[in-house]
Amino acid sequence: MEKLLKEKDEKYIKELFEKNLEDPVELVLFLQGENGDKVTRFNSQYFSYTEEIVKELVALSDKVSLTVYKDNKEKEAEYKVKEISALFVEGKNTNKNVSYYGIPSGHEFSSLLEDIMDASKGKTSLSEKTKTELKRITEPTEILVFVTPSCPYCPRAVRTAHQMAMENDKINGVMIEANEFPEWSQKYSVQAVPKVIINDKVQFEGALPEDAYLENVMKGAGKIILK
Amino acid sequence: MDDFSNVFVDEDAENKIKNDFLYDILIIGAGPGGLTAGIYAGRSKLQTLIFERLASGGQIAVSDLVENYPGFPEGISGEELTKRIESQAVRFGSQLVQDEVRSIEKQDNIFLVKTASHGEVKAKAIIIATGADPVKLPVPEEEKFRGHGISYCATCDAAFFKDKIVAVVGGGDTAISDAIYLTKFAKEVIVIHRRDELRAVKALQDEAFSNLKIKFQWDSIPAHVVGNNKVEGIEVKNVKTGKSTVIEVNGIFAAIGTTPNSDIVKDIVKVTERGFIVTDQNRETSVKGIFAVGDVRNTPLRQVITAAGDGAIAEFAAEKYIKSIK
Repeated sequence: MEKLLKEKDEKYIKELFEKNLEDPVELVLFLQGENGDKVTRFNSQYFSYTEEIVKELVALSDKVSLTVYKDNKEKEAEYKVKEISALFVEGKNTNKNVSYYGIPSGHEFSSLLEDIMDASKGKTSLSEKTKTELKRITEPTEILVFVTPSCPYCPRAVRTAHQMAMENDKINGVMIEANEFPEWSQKYSVQAVPKVIINDKVQFEGALPEDAYLENVMKGAGKIILK
Repeated sequence: MDDFSNVFVDEDAENKIKNDFLYDILIIGAGPGGLTAGIYAGRSKLQTLIFERLASGGQIAVSDLVENYPGFPEGISGEELTKRIESQAVRFGSQLVQDEVRSIEKQDNIFLVKTASHGEVKAKAIIIATGADPVKLPVPEEEKFRGHGISYCATCDAAFFKDKIVAVVGGGDTAISDAIYLTKFAKEVIVIHRRDELRAVKALQDEAFSNLKIKFQWDSIPAHVVGNNKVEGIEVKNVKTGKSTVIEVNGIFAAIGTTPNSDIVKDIVKVTERGFIVTDQNRETSVKGIFAVGDVRNTPLRQVITAAGDGAIAEFAAEKYIKSIK
C-alpha cells in the first residue's frame, strides 16, 4: 500500500511526539479476517487503511507501540470489543476505555494524536471543576460519540468523551465512525454529527462546551450537578 | 485516501492560561478573522490568547472547496485552509484555547473576561471574531427535526443521505456549494429558492445548472417539514401563486443566511438591528479597546478574505491602542 502519511506531516508528528510524550503508550487494534462475525461490506473496506495508518504512526516514536489482534475472540472479550475495527489507546490513565470504532481519519486523526499525548502524560486539559464532578461517577458510564471524518465539530466531542474516560475509569469513551457502522448509527437514529449518547439515556447533537457536555454526562450517569 | 494530511494539533492545552497575567490582546473566535489577527499579534510579539468554543475555522471549516481565496488557483478545502492559518498563528506565538467566553467587562483600561472553564482572564484589548451561525429553517418543525433530517452542515452530514433525495434551501454561495457537494452522495438534490434566480456567484451557478442531479424549485419558501419520526418531505409555498406543494425528500440542508454571534457584547457595544457589530474603519467598536472582525461585523461582504483583512486592520489598530493607554 502507498504510504498514507505525507513526509511533512510525519515530520510534524515526530517532533510533536518528541516534545510531548513522556510514558509509553500502547495502541491496541482489533481486526477480523473476511469471515469474521463483525465484518460487513461497510467496515471491511477500511481495515487495511486503519492498520496502515496506525503502523505508520507508531513508527514515528519509540514511546508508542502497536499490538494487533486479528480474529482473537479471547482478547476481544477482554477489551469488550463491540465492533471491528476497534482501536484502543492505552496509557497511564486509561483502562481499555478510550476507543475508536472505525478509521480515525480526517478530523479524527488529530483526536488520536491528542489522545496519545494525554495518555502518555497521564493528564487531561479538562477543567478542575469537571474533574471534581467526574469523580462522583461510581457506576459504569458509556459515552458514545458518532462522527464522520469530514466533520470539524466532531473531534471536540470525541476528545471530551476520551478525556473524561481518562479522568475516571468507570467512564467508557467510544468514538464511532458512522459510515462504517450504518446499523449501529441507525439504532441511534444518527442523521447529524457529532451525536453523543450517554448510557443510552441522554443524547445530544452538535458540539457543546465542556460544562454543558458535563451536565449531560452527569445526567446520563444519574447524577445531578451541584451548583 | 488523503485523509491524514496537514495535521495540526493543539499541544499542551492544559496550564496555558495565566489568570493573574495581563494579556495584550484576547481574540474571541478562531475563524479566518481571529486567526489572522493572531498572526499579526504574534509577529508583533504581543501576548495573545485566541479563544475558540467549537472548532477552528468557523464557517469556512465546513466549506468543501474555497475557490476565491488568493494564492490557491486550484481552490483549497476549508479544512486545509483552516489548519494552515491556525498553524501560522500558533507559529508566531499566539495561544489557542478551547473555551467559551461568557462575558466581558471593562474596568478602567482593563478588560475582565469570564470564560466557561478557565476562570477570569485579563487583557488590554479585545478582538471579537465570533462570526455568525446559520439562520434556522423557519418552519414550526425545525426543533423536532434538527439533527434528524434537518442539517446546517453539508460536509458533516451528507454521508447520511447516500442515494437519498435531499433539499437545499437557499440560493446564495453556501446553498449552491452545498448542493454541488451533496450530489456526491444523494441521488437527487432539489434547490428550493424564494426567487426565480440565484444569488450565488456566477461560477457556482454554472456548475449547478450543468449538474444533472440538481433540480430547482423556484419562487418557493419552506412552510412545513413533513414526517413522523423522520423527514419525509418539505411543504413549500409558491410566493407568486400562493400554492402549496409537498416535495418528497429524506433530508433538508438549510443555507438561508447567517445570524451574528454577538450576544456576549451586544449590550456593551453598538450593534445593528440584526445584531451585527458596528465598527469604524479601524474595526474599532463603540467601546475603546474592543474591536470586531469578520462575519460578526456590519460589513457589505462576508468572505474569508474580508475577515482576514479585518483581522489585520484590527490588530494594527489594537496595537496602537495598547500603546496609547500606557
